[in-house]
Amino acid sequence: MTITRSQIIKPFYFVLPFLIVIGLWELAVDMGTVSSRLVPSPSLITLKFYRLMTPEPILLNVLYMSFYRLILGYALGVLIGVSLGILMGVSNLLYRVFSPILSLLISVPTLAWVPLLLVTLGPGEETVIIAIFLGSFFPIVYNTLNGIRSVSKHRVWAAHIMGADKATVFFEVLLPGSLVSIITGLRLAIGYSWRALVGAEMLAAGISAGVGQMIYAAKAFNDVEAMFAGLIIIAIGGLLLDRLLMDPIERKTVEKWGMVKER
Amino acid sequence: MKKVKVQAIDLNKTFGGGNDKVVAISDFNLEVKENEFTVLVGPSGCGKSTFLYMVAGFEKPTGGKILLDGKPITKPGPDRGFVFQEFVLYPWRTVLSNVTFGLEIAGVSKEVAKETAMRLIEMVGLNGFENAYPHTLSGGMKQRVGIARALAYDPEVLLMDEPFGSLDAQTRKVMQGELTRIWEKMKKTVIFVTHSVIEATYLADKIIVMTARPGRVKGVIDVDLPRPRDYTGKQYLRIRGKVLGLLEEEVMKSLGKTPRKP
Repeated sequence: MTITRSQIIKPFYFVLPFLIVIGLWELAVDMGTVSSRLVPSPSLITLKFYRLMTPEPILLNVLYMSFYRLILGYALGVLIGVSLGILMGVSNLLYRVFSPILSLLISVPTLAWVPLLLVTLGPGEETVIIAIFLGSFFPIVYNTLNGIRSVSKHRVWAAHIMGADKATVFFEVLLPGSLVSIITGLRLAIGYSWRALVGAEMLAAGISAGVGQMIYAAKAFNDVEAMFAGLIIIAIGGLLLDRLLMDPIERKTVEKWGMVKER
Repeated sequence: MKKVKVQAIDLNKTFGGGNDKVVAISDFNLEVKENEFTVLVGPSGCGKSTFLYMVAGFEKPTGGKILLDGKPITKPGPDRGFVFQEFVLYPWRTVLSNVTFGLEIAGVSKEVAKETAMRLIEMVGLNGFENAYPHTLSGGMKQRVGIARALAYDPEVLLMDEPFGSLDAQTRKVMQGELTRIWEKMKKTVIFVTHSVIEATYLADKIIVMTARPGRVKGVIDVDLPRPRDYTGKQYLRIRGKVLGLLEEEVMKSLGKTPRKP
């Protein structure tokens, strides 16, 4: 396959604004326009990353712990969120029971739960994982149930007249028909659970390492370089999770089927 | 004498209740003969689609009876096939697997299902497109898939709800010709709903003109012309004029106007 012009130009346009910002940033700090005690220069932050990797790869442990919690909490959110969403989508009774509760709880920011979790579960891993679960659960359950309920009546009828039973209608019509919405929920949930992770790690004093913990601990030493390093990890981590996890799923399903526009 | 395949006796259908009550169909009586091509025409909102939904078993009558082979229709089933105006294909299935869906449900083996589907795909003129996804097809091609899908599992009655209503005029004409050709081969009982008199006269053995809402049978016109028909033929135009005359009164009524006197 030959490399087309747009394959070079597209990533270039993505990187260009960053290069400009980093350049101006470095210049502003070096010329003393901005105090390096408040905003360290990009070169100092790069040095900080280097120190976080040698002699001990502290950063790897930090990332490992955060991702471990994220995956556990997110998986729990997907499992319970998709299941409940499906049940509420197919059963009017369950919809009527859970829908009011859901619409009330969905407006509570995930972090508002954390003090309660700290009291009930203690300042350890469980609190962080459950916070991540709560962050991912709501967008998933909400989008799953809306996806199922918005599958057109005609699509279901078309299956009924061919003699489809309930299971066939569910697996062959309702589930694929709501996939666009389910994927939206999964995608939103990555963002929400990533935020919940960082926040809960700051509040749960009992955990040993993590991105949020790293930023929070840096406060005690006025280590702004570590704070910026943490912020950069959070931003890039969130973006990568979204792209690496969700883009391939979308490409192989709803994009291929023409149910969403290709990016 | 041909057997009666679908029969409506004093059929009624009402939607909603109280102030929102809408009587879609009332005292509707109709006999559809086996292997006949019956076309229902009527002004918008006259309940012709609702009638088709009841034959399909999607909707239940609020009064009267609707029978298939003398037995009441209670639910949808594969003795009937349905073609929707908006195609209603499954975007996650290829052309081939949209067409095999009904056969899969019937428990037909994969090889036989594929063979049957390929034969139908060829018949509707879509060879080479069996692995395409619906979103890559034009409207006319999508409806060819819709027709192949409805015929694949060999239903006894084919129900078509304004199947060419969302196609452009040129494609529509082509599809009318294609449907005639397909129907001549299969000779199934067809109930076809449209608001186009041109289309009705081109396709039908029998045209049922419906009244404005609530829908009743206003008139039945037999079209005893050889196929394929000539849109400009004298006989064709005579029958078309007759249907148009009946329909015009009802269209005016549905618009709240009194019909002009000739």
